[in-house]
Amino acid sequence: MAKIASPRPTGFLALLSVATLLVLAALYCVAFVARPDVTLGIVQKIFYFHVSSAIAMMLCLSCGSMLSLIDLFAPSDRIDALAHSAIETGLAFALMVLTSGPLWARKSWGAWWTWEPRLTLTLMLLLLAAAVLGIRSMAADGSGRKIAAALASLAAPIAYLIHVAVEKWGGTHPMVLKGGGIQSPGMQLTFRVAMLAILLFAATLWTLRFRVLRLEQRLHALRLELSAQDVRKQRPGAPT
Amino acid sequence: MLLRLTWLLLQKDLRVAARSREVFGFMLLFALLCVVVFAFGFLREGEAAAAQVPGVLWVTLLFSGTVGLLRLFAAEEEGGTLMLAERTLAGATPLLLSKALMQLLFSGVTTLLLLPVVLVFFDASLAQPAWVLAALALGLVGQAMLGALVAALLVHVRLREVLLPLVLYPLLAPLVIAGVRITVLTQAGAPMEALDGWLALMLGFDALVLVAAPWLHARVVEL
Repeated sequence: MAKIASPRPTGFLALLSVATLLVLAALYCVAFVARPDVTLGIVQKIFYFHVSSAIAMMLCLSCGSMLSLIDLFAPSDRIDALAHSAIETGLAFALMVLTSGPLWARKSWGAWWTWEPRLTLTLMLLLLAAAVLGIRSMAADGSGRKIAAALASLAAPIAYLIHVAVEKWGGTHPMVLKGGGIQSPGMQLTFRVAMLAILLFAATLWTLRFRVLRLEQRLHALRLELSAQDVRKQRPGAPT
Repeated sequence: MLLRLTWLLLQKDLRVAARSREVFGFMLLFALLCVVVFAFGFLREGEAAAAQVPGVLWVTLLFSGTVGLLRLFAAEEEGGTLMLAERTLAGATPLLLSKALMQLLFSGVTTLLLLPVVLVFFDASLAQPAWVLAALALGLVGQAMLGALVAALLVHVRLREVLLPLVLYPLLAPLVIAGVRITVLTQAGAPMEALDGWLALMLGFDALVLVAAPWLHARVVEL
């Protein structure tokens, strides 16, 4: 039987504690170290978690798509669980981005939503990830995994084309980071801490889901073994 | 072998379609209904109707294509021959290609019949028909190939009538955006150079899908 994550999750607990401490540190920095932006005011502080979540989302979804492709080449339960949990984590962060985005947009652009290229792309990624996960849960055990893997690996190049299309389509897009970006040392420090905190938080969620999926796979394997044993036991006195 | 099998499967599908005449007629009727519903939704007294043509045209084709895609594998599924058709000597690719061609044929004819209707209903005319037709052709090829792939993958999935559009529409987003933009730009009399980038995007999408879809289909079906 496949070796599964150890029952004593020492590494995971360490990751969880470090991530928790860093998130608290990031919150402290956002509140007290970084000063409010001169033009945007206090709403600019959304930036620290918004941008890091967007980066975490992109990382998770690209990893999920690549791992899905690998799973098509060389199917393995471990890769499959890694890919699936990556897409789930990516979806969680897409939701985070699409919650903090409109809050920011309302204050800085005057509207809750604009069809700005990066917002549109994030929305499309959310829809794609949700569709892939939905199909996986609807299909019967074996086939759902392969179907989801095929669609997830196709989604990455198509997401790039969506990116090209929405960039060409949406004329104006306010750039926060382009040229200069954030300059005050307090803001830079805060951004780095928040970035690290969110990435570790993403890694924690990913690992957690991965462990749960591996345990589910193990449970499934044990159930199969059990029913096979039942059949073997019944065979001598098979129904006449 | 591959082309011959594809041709034979396509012939079979065409013969079945010619005898039953169900799916194509429904697809056409559905497309017509879409246009009518869009007219209810978008037309305002005193506003030029022609401005709505690009959106109405492309979204109608997106929606009506789904009707065909959902029935694409119905014959194989009901007859229980899907597995047999997938396990031929040439692999599962002929089946996928024949279905994509079938879908392309249906959606192509639907488009040719629908285009004049939309233009009449919305009191418009095409400024540069050649470019719009090229964009439509590229869009329908991409939709047929990707749609056939998704339909093939979802044959045995529960709730596939709901899931097919759910996964297909976001994947087709580049084609819809580019198609609508090209139609809008030609209506506005934009120079040819403005269209190049959009057509290249559609070409890139079609190339990606034409290469990736058969490969992914084979990986999923034959494993």
